[in-house]
Amino acid sequence: MESEIVARPSASAAKLSLDSNETITCEVGAMIAMSTGFSVQTSASKRGGSGLWAGMKRMVAGENFFLNHFTATRPDQTLYLGPVLSGDIVHRRLAGETLIVQGSSWLASGPGVELDTTFQGLGNALFSGESMFWIRCSGHGDLFLNSFGAIYEVNVEESHVVDSGHIVAFDSSLQFSTGKLGDSWLQTFLSGEGLVCHFRGQGKLYCQSHSPPSFGKLLGPMLRAR
Amino acid sequence: MESEIRSRPAFANILVRLTQGDAIVAESDAMASMSSSITLRTRWSGGFLGALLRRVFGGESLFVNEFSTSSRGELVLTQPFPGDIECVELKGQTLYLQAGAFVACEPTVELGVGYAGLSSFIAREGLFRLKLSGRGRVWMGAYGGILSKDIEGEYVVDSSHLVAYEPTVQLKLGLAGSLLTSLLSREGLVMRLRGPGRIYLQTRSIEGLASFVNGYL
Repeated sequence: MESEIVARPSASAAKLSLDSNETITCEVGAMIAMSTGFSVQTSASKRGGSGLWAGMKRMVAGENFFLNHFTATRPDQTLYLGPVLSGDIVHRRLAGETLIVQGSSWLASGPGVELDTTFQGLGNALFSGESMFWIRCSGHGDLFLNSFGAIYEVNVEESHVVDSGHIVAFDSSLQFSTGKLGDSWLQTFLSGEGLVCHFRGQGKLYCQSHSPPSFGKLLGPMLRAR
Repeated sequence: MESEIRSRPAFANILVRLTQGDAIVAESDAMASMSSSITLRTRWSGGFLGALLRRVFGGESLFVNEFSTSSRGELVLTQPFPGDIECVELKGQTLYLQAGAFVACEPTVELGVGYAGLSSFIAREGLFRLKLSGRGRVWMGAYGGILSKDIEGEYVVDSSHLVAYEPTVQLKLGLAGSLLTSLLSREGLVMRLRGPGRIYLQTRSIEGLASFVNGYL
């Protein structure tokens, strides 16, 4: 399978080229357009699996219960995928390592990528402003993530701080904890940053330039109640 | 201090590289991510009284954060809405920023508060405005793209599209045309600016987005 990300970063779409019998699993509703040589299957887990439990877990992580599987039935088929929010898409090829993905950032992955829902600790969930559950992506194959805003990568060598709302994904080799920013709790509160996420270890971190909760808090009060 | 505005104009954000002795002052909640070697100090935005005035009459944040490091580190600053960020270097001149436009500045830039006048208040632009003076770089943000224009005489700007202006520019509230056309054209109240001086405009307004969405709720 070949891929290209077009219209970056404000209205990104993933253009995928698949050969016969190649499959891509993606978020429900992500298909923008495709050629006619695809068979489409919808299930709650990987192709062939039962997956009721997997689907329910995915729902609590902020994803959809169902997944769509697109399999090319003829050579040289193209498929365009895109998320709902305006923003960026990043492609990563997994070669045995594991990536922890923020609930709504998973867009699509190849059949060799295992998807599981992972719990990041009650404390982290309650205080980070991030989802309690994350998607754990492991195995081998292509993985596509989406964001609100542009995605930038940080290679963490020792430690790094990310404001909540800006995390897209991180290598499982990184340890993540929620904590204060600066020296005191008073400062954390006054700085307006709230609690932040501290990453420790070595690995890659994907951040989004804009925070959906910050935008929501700005726009929300201007909207009228239904 | 090195800085770069990335992902312009849709999702502009500022990558700042700090070394020992460097510092940058940023709007509350502007930090997206940073090296752990960077520390911050929180202080009043434009002094205690100024911060309070802007908070009460302009809906701005009370505090700003000053980031510095004793070694080296990287910092990414952003704004809550998608749009462009522009960097302006102050060489002794003053710049007025509308509510929500301030993203960051160098610590040599003085953050103050100026009375904007009743017309600004009626145009829902706030009774007080942020006054930046001194020397150093200033980063302002907008929802949409940023246009800059040097005006000589009078110039008409739709309220909520003004981002920043020099103090030589006078603000007056006015109608877009006659009373009838102002009502029919939906332009309603506009800002009538009088130069000379430079003005900065945003190509979209968050109020415009809100009223569009409200139509569908």
